[in-house]
Amino acid sequence: MTTATATAHTDDHHGPEKGLMRWIKTTNHKDIGSLYLWFAFTMVLIGGAMAMVIRMELFQPGMQLIDPQFFNQMTTMHGLIMVFGAIMPAFVGLGNWLIPMMIGAPDMALPRMNNWSFWILPFAGGILLSTFFMEGGAPAFGWTFYAPLSTTFAPDSTDFFIFAVHLLGFSSIMGAINIIATVLNMRAPEMKLMDMPLFVWTWLITSFLLIGAMPVLAGAVTMMLTDRNFGTTFFDATGGGDPVLFQHIFWFFGHPEVYIMILPAFGVISHIVPTFARKPLFGYSSMVYAAASIAFLSYIVWAHHMFSTGMPVAGELYFMYATMLIAVPTGVKVFNWVSTMWRGSMTFEAPMLWAISFVFLFMIGGFSGLMVGIAPADIQYHDTYFVVAHFHYVLVTGALWSIIAATFYWLPKWTGKMYNETLAKVHFWWAVISVNVLFFPQHFLGLAGMPRRIPDYSLQFADFNMISSIGGFAFGASFILFTYIVIDCIRNGKPADARPWEGAKGLEWTLEPKAQYHSFNTPPTRALIEKESQNS
Amino acid sequence: MNEQEYYVPSGTYWPIIGSIGVATLFVGFANQMHGASWGGSIMALGFAILVFMMFGWFSQVVKESTSGMYNSQVDRSFRWGMSWFIFSEVMFFAAFFAALFYARQLSVPWLGGADNNMFTPELWDGFRATWQQIAFNTPGATLQSGTAVSVPTQLVDAWGLPALNTALLLLSGVTLTFAHHALRAGHRNKIISWLVATIVLGVLFLGFQITEYGHAYHDGLKLTSGIYGSTFYMLTGFHGFHVTVGVLMLTVILYRVQKGHFSADNHFGFEGVAWYWHFVDVVWLGLFIFVYWL
Amino acid sequence: MTQVVIIVVIIAILIALGLGLLGMLKGGSAGSDKMFKSLVIRVVLSLFLFILVMFAAFMGWIEPNVVMMDASTLK
Repeated sequence: MTTATATAHTDDHHGPEKGLMRWIKTTNHKDIGSLYLWFAFTMVLIGGAMAMVIRMELFQPGMQLIDPQFFNQMTTMHGLIMVFGAIMPAFVGLGNWLIPMMIGAPDMALPRMNNWSFWILPFAGGILLSTFFMEGGAPAFGWTFYAPLSTTFAPDSTDFFIFAVHLLGFSSIMGAINIIATVLNMRAPEMKLMDMPLFVWTWLITSFLLIGAMPVLAGAVTMMLTDRNFGTTFFDATGGGDPVLFQHIFWFFGHPEVYIMILPAFGVISHIVPTFARKPLFGYSSMVYAAASIAFLSYIVWAHHMFSTGMPVAGELYFMYATMLIAVPTGVKVFNWVSTMWRGSMTFEAPMLWAISFVFLFMIGGFSGLMVGIAPADIQYHDTYFVVAHFHYVLVTGALWSIIAATFYWLPKWTGKMYNETLAKVHFWWAVISVNVLFFPQHFLGLAGMPRRIPDYSLQFADFNMISSIGGFAFGASFILFTYIVIDCIRNGKPADARPWEGAKGLEWTLEPKAQYHSFNTPPTRALIEKESQNS
Repeated sequence: MNEQEYYVPSGTYWPIIGSIGVATLFVGFANQMHGASWGGSIMALGFAILVFMMFGWFSQVVKESTSGMYNSQVDRSFRWGMSWFIFSEVMFFAAFFAALFYARQLSVPWLGGADNNMFTPELWDGFRATWQQIAFNTPGATLQSGTAVSVPTQLVDAWGLPALNTALLLLSGVTLTFAHHALRAGHRNKIISWLVATIVLGVLFLGFQITEYGHAYHDGLKLTSGIYGSTFYMLTGFHGFHVTVGVLMLTVILYRVQKGHFSADNHFGFEGVAWYWHFVDVVWLGLFIFVYWL
Repeated sequence: MTQVVIIVVIIAILIALGLGLLGMLKGGSAGSDKMFKSLVIRVVLSLFLFILVMFAAFMGWIEPNVVMMDASTLK
């Protein structure tokens, strides 16, 4: 389909409504994608503010600003908001915006349900945040809400937290169902599965993870709810239950959840690296199979989070080796990205800078992941700042990095305008340096034995904590610049070309510079699909 | 609608109404549990909004479907949506079955000292860590939460109502299959009678289930009767909830059959609900065998 | 032995149910046929399983998880 034909359909009878109602009633994937992204951005700022409070308290040893109970509320809510409020909705937002355009579909398969997936989120987020104003404060048991901390010893507000998790689960499941139906049913008739861009592939696989894992989380919080309020004893040994059961059920959800947050990131990077290396993606099909293997393995490694909980030795060995196995498909991906760059004519625009630093920094997080995956060594690392450093390297410089990279990469397509490249480069270097100042010393702190989730610490940890806090404040401030760049692009950006990156492939670049409200009302032709395919 | 065109619906209010409904329901429920006198009313209000939303949303979809606004692609999207929704339900039940197996095979024997070759001191006088007695073995014990453990005088007999209920539900699967066959053969009267039979069997099942709960509760088997009571009530309770939903959906389908919404070769609404009913049926079979027998 | 048979039949039922789902997913007359046939198989297998369990229990090959008993007899 050519741009000219697409134009003819721009202002059909489904054009956007005016005012607030446009956003409440919308069934348009682009509107809903924007809503998701702005919601996620708001949540990043709220969760980030909590991280700032944490780093302020940890700036020096001794109790500085807040009392320990509030500190625990901060760590708990920071984790919950970042995982469920920021990273996941951001990826669903990217998926909403991009998947229909990438597969040559006019919209998502179930547009009304798509609206509901989003409009549950503000209510869930509102309920979650309202717990701060309740008696006993917000949940303070850590984002993993282990029983019995979350059952017997938690404030009443925990029940609101449980319902918020239920709502977030509904939203994610509906979003995942929608993406599966869209990819498998709305794809342009001429597009084969192996023609699909990798972002579509990784999101399809992620959707299966979501549908398999989120209901299990719903089951876990439901058991928590009845344990708390109706006297059941799922997680209480007095009645024959077991708190360890909670950990098993939680991590059966929790480990796939980790890959839910990173697989779409892999997809994003697999778009940006070939574009700026001006070479086809190396090993397209191996990328697809690697993502599928990672997804499969993610279901059978959950107990590596529980090495120090206590488990038969055979169990520890199995979970250790299964965990090591994940390094193989992940390694395939990293090597493919590197091979894509090999002898490419590379340029380093902002999206590429973020993508390359993703490969470097995610690899650091991956390797520390291997370290904590070794059962005997994990006894030392467990519950220390080493773990904190590990998962922030994979989630901040992994998942979040890819979201920022995707924002810069597709912003021209979303707004029809170009962001300020100079400012974006300043922003990148500011963020990438500060984030390493923030998280790298935490490895040393953890190896030296500093436990996580504590408001005060021994004197020998003081220097690294201060360095880490300074990095934290600098990294936090980088979001002010990020906000400015995005808003500046929307308001004053110079008009962008339909294909602003010369090496970019993909159906979305065949649309107008600012993708029209309804794109691909008629499906693209086979010739166009082949021309724009990553698998060539 | 043209097969070559895509169908994109215009804006809708139903989702935001649904969100308000479900949020109201949960906020009311939480307050109810915390002893607020108004919690129940708020909960009922939320439930009413939710029912209103479902009724409105589904009637709109049915109306659009019968007026021929959907092509085969939209039909397939609904099929994908329904299938993966049911898969998410399977995973939800899986969590509770996992809890049952874990408690029965692992945590209860561990409490009795299994596997660690250590003498586990008796938790209290007369404690014996076997599944069939775990509910009896907690006289006078209190849970961590401070709730007193409810000690039943007797437990549910697998031979009585449960076996009868299994037979009823399996029979409803048979009658539904006859209805399905009649639909495919295009005999509307037969569909209606078999569907009515299925609904009656479903309602009978629910009635007997309530009776069984009454008996068990009277004998002191409650949610607070240790892990036995917990798994028993949560599994059968969630299943009962799904049967209720299934009965409601079948009733809607009955209405739609009477209205002549389905044809012998195009009846996704019926297929979706039928599959849901078969799924609920199989979950019960699993419950019957794993909770009562194996 | 009986337990193994029971588990195998349950798995067969789940497979039949799953095939029914795939048929529904496929749609069209072929999918509709596939769905209907799989569901017939699952109904027949379920009835067989129920009769098997009842018969095995009657013969004493399997025992209920929780035997009907009075709390007083345990003390």
